[in-house]
Amino acid sequence: MTLKKLILSVFVLLCQLISAQNDSITNLKEVVVSDRTLYSNNKSQSIQVLNDSVIDRNQSTLTNLLNYNSSIYFKEYGRGMLSTVSFRGTTASQTAVIWNGINVNSQLNGSSDFNTFTAPDFNSVSIKAGGGSVSYGSGAIGGTVHLNNNLVFKNQFENDLRLDYGSFNTIGVNYKINVSNKKWSTQVGFSRNSSDNDYDYVGLYTSNGVQRKNENGQYETTNLFANVGYKIKPNAVLTFYSQSSNTDRNLSLISESDSKTKYINTFSRNLLEYNATKERFTTNYKLAYLTEQYQYFENIDRDDFDFGKTESLIAKVDFGYKLLESLQLNGILDYNRTKGFGTSFGDNTRQIGAIAIKAVEQHNEKWQNELGFRKEASSDYESPFLFSLGSSYVFNSFYNLKINVSRNFRIPTFNDLYWETGGNPNLNPESSYQAEVGNVFSYKKFKLTETVYYMKIKDMISWTPLDGSNWSPENIHKVNSYGSETNLGWSNSFGKNNIALNASYAYTVSEDVETREQLQYVPYHKFNSNVSYSYKKIEATYQFLFNGAVTIPSEKYKMVKEYWVSNLGAYYDLGTKNTCKIGVQALNLFNQTYQSVSQHYMPGRNFLINLTFKF
Amino acid sequence: MNFSKLVLTTLASALFFVSCTNDDDNNDAPLGSYDNGVLILNQGGFGHNDASVSYISSDFATAQNDIFSVVNPTITLGDTGQDIGFNGENAYIVLNASNKIEIVNRYTLKSVGSINTGLKNPRYIAFANGKGYVTNWGDGGVATDDYVAVIDLSAKKVSSSIPVAEGPERILENSGKLYVAHKGGYSYGNKVSVIESATNTVSATITVGDVPESMAIKDGTLWVACSGNPSYVTTPLVETAGKIVKVNLATNAVTTTIAYSDATKHLSNLVLNGSDVYYTIDSDVYKMSATATTLPTTSAFSTTSQGVYGIYSFAIHDNHIYVGDAGDYSHSGKVYIYALTSPSIGTLEKTFSVGVIPAGFYFND
Repeated sequence: MTLKKLILSVFVLLCQLISAQNDSITNLKEVVVSDRTLYSNNKSQSIQVLNDSVIDRNQSTLTNLLNYNSSIYFKEYGRGMLSTVSFRGTTASQTAVIWNGINVNSQLNGSSDFNTFTAPDFNSVSIKAGGGSVSYGSGAIGGTVHLNNNLVFKNQFENDLRLDYGSFNTIGVNYKINVSNKKWSTQVGFSRNSSDNDYDYVGLYTSNGVQRKNENGQYETTNLFANVGYKIKPNAVLTFYSQSSNTDRNLSLISESDSKTKYINTFSRNLLEYNATKERFTTNYKLAYLTEQYQYFENIDRDDFDFGKTESLIAKVDFGYKLLESLQLNGILDYNRTKGFGTSFGDNTRQIGAIAIKAVEQHNEKWQNELGFRKEASSDYESPFLFSLGSSYVFNSFYNLKINVSRNFRIPTFNDLYWETGGNPNLNPESSYQAEVGNVFSYKKFKLTETVYYMKIKDMISWTPLDGSNWSPENIHKVNSYGSETNLGWSNSFGKNNIALNASYAYTVSEDVETREQLQYVPYHKFNSNVSYSYKKIEATYQFLFNGAVTIPSEKYKMVKEYWVSNLGAYYDLGTKNTCKIGVQALNLFNQTYQSVSQHYMPGRNFLINLTFKF
Repeated sequence: MNFSKLVLTTLASALFFVSCTNDDDNNDAPLGSYDNGVLILNQGGFGHNDASVSYISSDFATAQNDIFSVVNPTITLGDTGQDIGFNGENAYIVLNASNKIEIVNRYTLKSVGSINTGLKNPRYIAFANGKGYVTNWGDGGVATDDYVAVIDLSAKKVSSSIPVAEGPERILENSGKLYVAHKGGYSYGNKVSVIESATNTVSATITVGDVPESMAIKDGTLWVACSGNPSYVTTPLVETAGKIVKVNLATNAVTTTIAYSDATKHLSNLVLNGSDVYYTIDSDVYKMSATATTLPTTSAFSTTSQGVYGIYSFAIHDNHIYVGDAGDYSHSGKVYIYALTSPSIGTLEKTFSVGVIPAGFYFND
């Protein structure tokens, strides 16, 4: 039957894998993760885990890892440039990035730039779709992306080195060393990824017939990190996580005669954590200090710049009590003090206090209920009462049903409140109600997750012209989003042949309630897939990404067209005892001309060689 | 088996949705001639590279949008349209963020070249002595690198530059001299520079009022509309009232200043027409006699019934008043055409939908 043939060939061609994605949190006993409750307390929502073997097979920016392996939509202003997301049809500041359990979205603009993160710096990256403000605070509306460093308490001495070299003089060095015993665990590393990024725009010429290329697009991202854990007693652990990051980027020109500008983003993130359990009690203390800074150079040849900086102190206590064998209660107190200052606003300090209560009832092996409340008090705005209510029921080995209802929010940023001129100190947080139903089907080696959701967001903050020259943010828009996420995973072995595939598809409607129009830069369709095949020490991977057309804020261009991109990779492990893998990737194999943001073209076919050593 | 059906359905639907959108071609044919009408420069969104030009014929019977692209489909006009200057057969379209000037035949819109180097944050253009003069801010954050670029019109190149005070904006030619209003760029100016086109030097500087926004020249007198400092200036500056300043061009001396006493009144878009003076405040149009000694307190008419929230561009031509409305600054702007006198000032005659942020009217006849 031809339809079936067609579908099957599409299946083989497009789909892909990520074997590691499910059930990858193995052996938790000897691993300390800073975010202990992410998996155990959120069974009513779906969490996708990308572990180090997936991270190793992808390009190093967090943008590329997530774009090709999750249903999150990316808006990238040219390769390596500013990169923001839309998750379940929400805005860039409605997805929270959680670094080792701490929300690290910018206090200045509310969002995260995914090209400032380097994926191999982390042991795993998890994607939790749906509301999470009760646990993770502001911005956890569309979903959360969790960057995790895991500390292992066993005797080991392990080095992990990855070297990349590719087209446009793209150079990457990513190194991690893990040294640990049963009492101490240390992970130290650095990464540096840079590129001249002067790629041609495929098939595009100036009016004089000169090949157009990406000018002024060079970038360089450097990260240093050190994570240390100490087991004071078998049931008491002290951990410290630290990361500093610098991203130095020129901004690609949209036409050849534009002024050349650049941005430097710097971050430092430090977290000290103490966790102890005793009989029915658990205590967890967290103390974090985060800074972020941007510098904008209007002219790359001059040293003067505009800047904005924030410094945040976060203190958190979490007391847990096992009321019944089946019922765990947690009470959480949280304090955040953020100071922001910069060229475009004065010196402002914001304090937020929060109280949260969470309950997890493990009714029986099959049925888990989750309930949480959170209320914040802030010096700057009225905060809504947040809740989350969910249930997961495993009917049989074939079917697991998940239901979750939550209220979430996104607080006004320093830019929204204090920008000179226009900042509006009277803003309210954006808030949303959300309901989702998830179905997880497992059959033999297949796993299919299908989630449908509905979300109402109100008080969306939007900068609008008050008169000809003065713009100010207001809580004006209301948005309804609904859609579905489908994820299929399959892997199998036939003798020495291993095949794995993973495919995900997101259908997203995100409608402005007043205009009834789909939000700009939200595609109705996104599909991506990975297939990998390995035989003994040889492995081949094929990635496919389809992004549907999006409307954009330009009457002249109206939309960014749909595009599809394929990447092909081949790897060979030369090592016997240790890993010594050589890999070659052909990116944008079919040399497509595409852009994810209007006027910001992406590269055509290009190549990357990697060497990965684990010893 | 149910499960595999489900899988296949999912994949099939994914495939189905890989539907294609058509290229959004502009199917309009060039009109051939764009004279006897007005060219409207639409600024476009900053960073969107979507500046455009619209045309409306004098009899309002014909209108076409995006005419630069219709005539020159292989050329992108650029980012942030700022000004158009006519000289002989040519129209010079100044693109602020693209740091360039696209040159077209003013009647056919056919491209005749471009100037891509020597401009930095170009603003407005004027012509004198067979040369072009373009005001430039340089880097916005630098107060000392502002200049007027001198254009060799036959070579289509910047031939030299004349350093001037910060934030040069509008530029007007009169008897071989150029008058440059220093609106102030990223800060707030209060001067007009005089440039001699024979020597390309600044020969005089005239202090007018805060934020000189627009200028007109008639009978040896330079009229300058000063908006005054806006409400959001930071100390030590304070908000100041708009005023009209008249300068005797023979002596470069300020002869008359007529000001509002209310510091929140900020005027713009000065136009001289016959024996009358017109300007705008927010969404209102004001009219006074050229000999008046005080500014009118009530407007001639308001555009608020058309929903205009701040008149973005303004012109008077052949007994009609043209108002450009930027709307929400991201969707198509509107052009409203009102009667100047008959049946009465402010009677709405025509409405046109144009490009994003209609920034200026250039009458081509």
